[in-house]
Amino acid sequence: MRKHRTYLVIFVLLLSVVTAIAAETRWVSSEGTTLKAESSAASETIADVAVGSEVTVIESGGRWLKVRTASGKEGWLFAGRVSETQPAAEVSGGDGGIFGNSMKSSQISTAKADSGRSIRGLSPGAAQYAKNRGTPELYKKSLDVVLARKVTPKELKTFLKEGKIGEYAQGEGGKK
Amino acid sequence: MKTVLILVCLILPLSASTALAGFFESLANPESKEWKIITGATQVLSSTQEIDYPTERNIGESLALEGLQRFGNPVANEQLQKYVNLVGSAVAANSTRATIPYQFAVLDSQVQNAFAVPGGVIFVSRALVDILESEAELAAVLAHEIGHVSAKHALKSTRRAQFFQGVGTITAANLKGDTGKQFASAINDMQGVLFDKGLDKEMEFEADLAAMEAAYRTGYDPSAMIRVLEKLQKLEATSREKKGSWFSTHPPLDERIARLQTQLRHYPDFAAQASVKERFAKYGRVK
Ligand SMILES: [Zn+2]
Repeated sequence: MRKHRTYLVIFVLLLSVVTAIAAETRWVSSEGTTLKAESSAASETIADVAVGSEVTVIESGGRWLKVRTASGKEGWLFAGRVSETQPAAEVSGGDGGIFGNSMKSSQISTAKADSGRSIRGLSPGAAQYAKNRGTPELYKKSLDVVLARKVTPKELKTFLKEGKIGEYAQGEGGKK
Repeated sequence: MKTVLILVCLILPLSASTALAGFFESLANPESKEWKIITGATQVLSSTQEIDYPTERNIGESLALEGLQRFGNPVANEQLQKYVNLVGSAVAANSTRATIPYQFAVLDSQVQNAFAVPGGVIFVSRALVDILESEAELAAVLAHEIGHVSAKHALKSTRRAQFFQGVGTITAANLKGDTGKQFASAINDMQGVLFDKGLDKEMEFEADLAAMEAAYRTGYDPSAMIRVLEKLQKLEATSREKKGSWFSTHPPLDERIARLQTQLRHYPDFAAQASVKERFAKYGRVK
């Protein structure tokens, strides 16, 4: 009887371990996500993690999660930057946008973002539409200016830091 | 036999209760799959996935040109425009569609409105920015519009979706001639949806929920969305100009507020998140 109880305990333990592992996979869902040495934005950056990367949660502390990346690196991520569902891959015919083809490599995305957005001026189709419609030059120029404005990841980081927002919030680095 | 029975008796309720506990725990977690399914915040793929991004962008920018003519040019205040782009980019990075470029602009319009065109260009009127009092409130408005872009609401709403799918990639070359005429007609139809008729009610609620989620993920107080709607509610009573505003193109404000208040329960620490009033007072004022 005692033996059976031991088996039972082991079985239940195994079951809970398996459930725990299955439930602890997360996907990086935000652009510009960095793996931190501690649960604080001010701590050392271990690596950049691209959108769509799978991570395993080891520990949870407030709005921060200790995770292990696919390449085996361990560190902390701000919980707002991960999701329980895998983000849908964006099929963007050549134009990766401000952060580039993040799904492929975070390094490429950083390089691309630093050199600025690849979209400049009206898209060819919209320019042709304006031509067809005889859209006044003034509005084409206005939209041109709007499309040319860019926000680099570095500017964004500084902005969040100065506003003490999210992972840069005061008191234990956003731990609430 | 007895042990088997004990096992069944023990494990069944145990596993059922852990499963249930897990489910309720998930519901308490705003990032959980279960919660998203219940609130309908998960992105559902539809036929619009066949429209590629350059085409979506061509459609959106064409609509943006019409929007500018209708609501006015951007306010000539570079500091304000840059600020709005920073706030917008912050929440966009935590939206369900973070990998496309977004651009934001404040238009010189006296009607309280904000709208997004496919592809990521988002406009907000100076009249709407004028009634806001914090960065979190601006973030909420912009995140609502990002929600429409993420879920491709405008593309899903056009009766000309078949035209876009049939024509494939829209390029400058194929907009010369007959396709160009059909394209213009499709843009005209979408204008009617975006600027006059408004999107489907459920799409608006979906954008509201998405806005709260993206704002909270970024670290902004998600209840700011409710405060914006309450301000609009006060204005609605006295406003004469309702045409083309958030009053006329969006579902009744009390209904939106009620839904958001229910949603707010998923963010128990909402009040501890950032509002950022000082910086908004410095850069977010339309001069
Ligand atoms: Zn809306």
